[in-house]
Amino acid sequence: MAENVTTTPLDNADGDAVSGVEIQLNEVTKRYSGQREPAVDSFTMTVPAGNIVVFVGPSGCGKTTTMRMINRLIEPTSGKITIGGEDALSLDPDQLRRRVGYAIQQAGLFPHFTVTQNIAVVPGLLGWDKKKISDRVEEMMDLVGLDPSVFRDRFPRQLSGGQQQRVGVARALAADPPVLLMDEPFGAVDPITRGNLQDELLRLQEELHKTIVFVTHDFDEAVKLGDRIAVLGNQSKILQYDTPDAILANPADDTVAGFVGAGASLKQLTLLRVHEVEMTQAVTAKTSESVEEMRKRIDARGGRPFGLVLDERGRPLRWVHKRDLASGRRLSEAGRPVGDLVSKQSTLQDALEAMLTEGGGVAVTGGRGEYAGVLEMETVMNKIRELREEHGDGADE
Amino acid sequence: MSAFTAESGSRSAERGRLFAQPVAVLLIVAAVLVWAFTTDLDTVEQESINASSILTYTWQHLVLSVVITILVLVIALPLGVMLTRRWAKPAAPVFLAIANIGQAAPAVGVLVLFFLWTGLEGVAAAAPPIAFYALLPVLRNTIVGIQQVDPALVDAGRGIGMSSGAVLRRIELPLAIPLILAGLRTSLVLAVGTATLAQFVNGGGLGEMIDTGYKLDRVSVLTVGAVLAVALALLVDWLGAVAERYFGPKGIG
Amino acid sequence: MNLFEYVADRWGSLSLQGLLHASAVVQCTIIAAVIGVLVGIAVYRSPLGSALATALASAILTVPSFALIGLLIPILGLGVEPSVTALVLYGLLPIVRNTIVGLGGVDPSITDAAKGIGMSRLGVLSRVELRLAWPAILAGMRVATQLMMGILAIAAYAKGPGLGSEIFSGLVRAGSANSLNQALAGTLGVVILALLLDGIYALIGRYTTSRGIRG
Repeated sequence: MAENVTTTPLDNADGDAVSGVEIQLNEVTKRYSGQREPAVDSFTMTVPAGNIVVFVGPSGCGKTTTMRMINRLIEPTSGKITIGGEDALSLDPDQLRRRVGYAIQQAGLFPHFTVTQNIAVVPGLLGWDKKKISDRVEEMMDLVGLDPSVFRDRFPRQLSGGQQQRVGVARALAADPPVLLMDEPFGAVDPITRGNLQDELLRLQEELHKTIVFVTHDFDEAVKLGDRIAVLGNQSKILQYDTPDAILANPADDTVAGFVGAGASLKQLTLLRVHEVEMTQAVTAKTSESVEEMRKRIDARGGRPFGLVLDERGRPLRWVHKRDLASGRRLSEAGRPVGDLVSKQSTLQDALEAMLTEGGGVAVTGGRGEYAGVLEMETVMNKIRELREEHGDGADE
Repeated sequence: MSAFTAESGSRSAERGRLFAQPVAVLLIVAAVLVWAFTTDLDTVEQESINASSILTYTWQHLVLSVVITILVLVIALPLGVMLTRRWAKPAAPVFLAIANIGQAAPAVGVLVLFFLWTGLEGVAAAAPPIAFYALLPVLRNTIVGIQQVDPALVDAGRGIGMSSGAVLRRIELPLAIPLILAGLRTSLVLAVGTATLAQFVNGGGLGEMIDTGYKLDRVSVLTVGAVLAVALALLVDWLGAVAERYFGPKGIG
Repeated sequence: MNLFEYVADRWGSLSLQGLLHASAVVQCTIIAAVIGVLVGIAVYRSPLGSALATALASAILTVPSFALIGLLIPILGLGVEPSVTALVLYGLLPIVRNTIVGLGGVDPSITDAAKGIGMSRLGVLSRVELRLAWPAILAGMRVATQLMMGILAIAAYAKGPGLGSEIFSGLVRAGSANSLNQALAGTLGVVILALLLDGIYALIGRYTTSRGIRG
């Protein structure tokens, strides 16, 4: 959230510090010969250590060029770039890149390398010993949620798009770089997988606190991922550089407002997580229990005549109405199956979506899929109202 | 879908050849040798059709083919790699045009011209022009093979800190190998086939048996030489097919 | 005498040889195209047939041309017959292969539509499938022609027609005054003819391919 955006003092990039370092770009310009206008014109920005900063803008605006100058895949024509206080332009480019993670669209995995070999590339370039590399590969696969025993020896073409993307992220993180550059890394996967990958990136970031520069043209993605968003115009001109809420609430000009698009308050829902708002508790019973038992609990509770049946491991299974609980039936067959679930980490937007499918409150689960509570439509509506009052109604026009 | 049928058609053709070809070669060679050694040969025929001369001709043919192949590899591979580097890219069309003319020119013409120009004889006279003639497949496939590597992979390689040499060695070349091998197979078959012409410039080989048989009007000598040359070409082609199948990088294709 | 003087001096016979060379190659391409397309039509619907035809044709291409011509001499004698036979055999592979690929590449929904509006099997083949496969077939013929140009030069060994005889006389007369010029005239003549025919192919392709499918 906004309060976390602090510029921590410069840190050294050496050692195995888990935390990221600050990146500074100062008057960075890229001019291509034969073109009158520079592609990137005098770009100055500080990317705070441990933050995700998202460059968002129309295609061709120079956002990718700007990012690629940080690891010098494109050499700046002029200007100064420091990473953790070190002058990036005076380092050997290959050495620099080994210390800056890089993930791109469609993962860019080497098709003739196995998953293990792909992840091991950078540690190998850095001359780590074999044991350390293989330990690290296992660790990375665990980190991105791929079972090493299953995926270790697979080739990229034997993976789904989402799995490839995970390997791509694992490869970028393998040498534990303080800084990670991501160029539309989730651009080529389907929307559902993309949502999952975004959630996982946020989970990883909570653990790792890297400094991440993320390029996308999808503003919703920027809002979801960014600690800060830089909305860029032509020649990579910074139109606005601020926290997502601030940009949603107060777009700097019409161009930014146009980019933010309609429905800013809906988008603000993507900034809030289910665990940040209040949940209610429903009447629950396990499948092994009897219908009478459940009916008794619903009666005892008063209120609405609904309850939630959980499986033996506490995961939500079926919604039941009191009238479904005729004697002699089994709880595992009563009522209707739960249609959609959200987790505590889901955004309120996801929750609202689920409510529209469920036609009312939605069951919330914890980390292992176990029941945690119910989120009511009313809670979400109240939150929207609250947000509007906070930023004024003009924001979503 | 339909495009795939054609594809799988030629793939199953390849698979069929992988087994049928060596068997056919062995049968043909055996049949011709049995026929040649069991018929009554006159003295002229005996001079060519005996174990030691047949082995000599075959050996000469093989040596010449190997020299040509080495020349092709030594020239075409580095040249092909170089022409895909950014600084040399503008030169690529020039070299490809030269190689194209090399292949469009009649092999026998190139061979004879080189011989007349240099006055060399034997392997030295035969190998360079035949190598020039057989160069194009390896050169073009090396260039195309490297060019068709997804630029995103090269970008990813550079982006995670591989030097340009490492990207070439570990990504571009391995991914180009299937095409390079296919080109090499074509070049090899051309080389072995064209090596039959080497006898025109005193380069020896199985072509010499064909020539002798023709000039001295001995069908048996001509036939043995021709059949052995055919068998050798089919065998080399088969080896190429085997190499393509088993030495390509895993994980692709 | 330099090359130009030599060519000017011998223009009569050189141009005749060149004409014979080109005409033999063109005629053989046409024969190979007729046979190749017929074979292609016969096998393209069966994967096994296609595989067999492709494998056989590419095995023929592997055979050294000098060896094939040598083998044909005892059977067909000298001169035109062995030359034409060899050229047609070598021309088959590119044409058969491209015919199969071309016909196989026709979108089944198009042939379905043609059948659906009442075209006969032959009508579908001649008016739809072959028309759509034509660019591929023509490309095969182009490759075949290029191959034949060089092989016909070797066929001069078996007294075949064309510029190859210039090359061989140059070789036989090695050391004499005009041997190099003679071989050079023959070789360059073949190269020039090959380029000319290639240009003609480009033109034919342009004017015979339906504008709807031109790339």
